[in-house]
Amino acid sequence: MTTPIIQTTNLRKTYMLGKVRVEALRGVDLRVEKGDFLAILGPSGSGKSTLLNMIGALDKPTEGKVFIEGIDVSTLDDNGLADLRRKVGFVFQFFNLIPRLTAKGNVELTMAIPGLGKKERGKRAEELLETVGLKERVGHKPAELSGGERQRVAIARALANSPNFLLMDEPTGNIDSKTSKEIMALVIRLNKEKGMTTIVITHDQHIAAQAKRKVQMLDGLIIREEVS
Amino acid sequence: MKASDVFSYAFSAIRLRKLRAGLTILGVVIGIAAIVALLSISQGLQNSISEQLQTGFATDTLIVSTGGGFGPGEMASTGSDFKLSVNHTQIIDEIENVDMSVAVIQKSCYVESGEREFRLTVAGVDFAKYADIYSGTFIAKSGKIPLNPENEIVVVGKRISDPWKNGTLFCDVDYTIKIIWTTYNASTLKPENKTYMGNVVAVLEEIGGFGLGPSDSSVYIPISQAQTFFETNECNTIIVKVENDDETTIESVSEAIEVAFSDQVSVISSTAVLNTISSVFATIEFFLAGIAGISLLVAGVGIMNIMIVSLMERTREIGILKALGMKSRTVLSIFLSEAVIVGLIGAAFGVASGWVLANVVAVVFSGGGLPGVGRGNHAATAGGMVITPVLTPTVFLGALAFGLIVSVVFALYPAWRASKLKPVEALRYE
Ligand SMILES: Nc1ncnc2c1ncn2[C@@H]1O[C@H](COP(=O)(O)OP(=O)(O)OP(=O)(O)O)[C@@H](O)[C@H]1O
Ligand SMILES: [Mg+2]
Repeated sequence: MTTPIIQTTNLRKTYMLGKVRVEALRGVDLRVEKGDFLAILGPSGSGKSTLLNMIGALDKPTEGKVFIEGIDVSTLDDNGLADLRRKVGFVFQFFNLIPRLTAKGNVELTMAIPGLGKKERGKRAEELLETVGLKERVGHKPAELSGGERQRVAIARALANSPNFLLMDEPTGNIDSKTSKEIMALVIRLNKEKGMTTIVITHDQHIAAQAKRKVQMLDGLIIREEVS
Repeated sequence: MKASDVFSYAFSAIRLRKLRAGLTILGVVIGIAAIVALLSISQGLQNSISEQLQTGFATDTLIVSTGGGFGPGEMASTGSDFKLSVNHTQIIDEIENVDMSVAVIQKSCYVESGEREFRLTVAGVDFAKYADIYSGTFIAKSGKIPLNPENEIVVVGKRISDPWKNGTLFCDVDYTIKIIWTTYNASTLKPENKTYMGNVVAVLEEIGGFGLGPSDSSVYIPISQAQTFFETNECNTIIVKVENDDETTIESVSEAIEVAFSDQVSVISSTAVLNTISSVFATIEFFLAGIAGISLLVAGVGIMNIMIVSLMERTREIGILKALGMKSRTVLSIFLSEAVIVGLIGAAFGVASGWVLANVVAVVFSGGGLPGVGRGNHAATAGGMVITPVLTPTVFLGALAFGLIVSVVFALYPAWRASKLKPVEALRYE
């Protein structure tokens, strides 16, 4: 058996709100192989986002471990975590673009962080925006773009540093169904053609239906998994 | 992230809030401008004063008077009955390292020429010796200073000749002016006027400012004439020329003179006066710079305040940057770069506007340099002094550095807090 690209073991996350314990995750074991396409489903508050944040090294578990390509994330220091995040393509529900930068600027910034030169990153940003169908919008700021367009910028940004895997937290939650289909088609193509490992949180059954694996969560636990 | 990218990112953040950034910069500008203006004016003032003192009373001279303290005027009032006399120069001339000495009899008199009359200082001196001691200032501009005068003659300062600076002369070479001295009869206490009709033989070169030597607003008569006219051998001061201006020589001569007169005279050396003035100026400068520095600290607090506000506004942005893999130290350097930009722009504009301010003040100050005849005593006439503000490299670089340092220091805490934000929490921030 090869090393999985992502693995969690007995992952727990407990929040203390005053005296109240909120158990967002109660022991999640998940194993994702290279090239997988996972959909995570579950009611609101079931711990989907919390799980994804752990995998993306944005948050630390209370208990249990996350392994990325066999490396225990809890052993990494601040700088190590930052390096790890550069190889994660995160797409947020609320886009999270930098408002004062253009579409191209947002994508470029991602590449400037690991220190890519201005010329190369400019060229690559334009290519990526073309791939997501935003060739005409490179100079627009987020406020001048529609929700669907913003999410495409976010996807282009997520792909900028050639990530090991894509993590998407309800990427189509804020856009209409037609645009959301287009975006999912793009993601599926990436998975099929480039073998991009993808985890997507969604409430949309149509999207989930296209995934290779469907993981159902409830109250901080994975309760069921379907493989198609 | 490359330094150039850090800087341009910081710059784009500043540009976004132009008004806010402008006001923050203004705070720094005001602080730095105040420091630069105050320091360059006081430096200029100090320079012109020391310069004039140096020409005004050659560094190799000592001034002996019966009074204590600064200034050989008529304020020579001590408890002692000791009077300095013209003949005392002989005692002083005997002292080792003394080149020569000259007695000055000084009285305040009315001087009349034509219709006009002024109250002025009339000084009786030995023209030959006086001209030798003050070879830089006791020089005739027109006419000739006679070395062995016998007659009733006068030499006048530039301002006496041309008090209004407009070509209307009060007197000039070959004029005859009338000096009126009022004494009070010892028994009747009634005033009695004595007059001295003096032929103007020379007008001095303009001396400017003030010094302890010759001045633009004095009238000079030969010492022998003064003794007769004022009916006295008592002199106000004796000016001593020392063979060289070594500090040790000056000191030993000063001491020797004091000893020769059993400590009943005070001896002032020009270097001592210069030193006192310098140290007074150093104190004043220190205070002024301190006050200006406080205004810069206020600007620093402003920077800190603005950065904390901006930190809160940009929490989400910082969350994004961290989620994209930006390291904490890069976040820190972005925030510090913003402070560096604000500090540099502020300091640069501050130095420039401080310099402009200093020059404006200097012009206003010398414009008010009161034409007209000073009635002050022989010692000090400050009118007409020109201040040229001086921006020393130390002040220039120091002000730039100070502006920068204050900005960065006050940005340290907000920047540190920004760098410590946790990505999930920052992203959750509304
Ligand atoms: N920072 C936090 N402090 C306290 N409780 C939290 C925090 N983050 C999450 N929780 C709690 O953890 C639980 C799981 O939250 P999570 O965001 O993972 O749910 P989710 O499945 O993503 O829901 P949704 O579909 O609405 O996005 C919730 O009950 C939430 O209230
Ligand atoms: Mg969620």
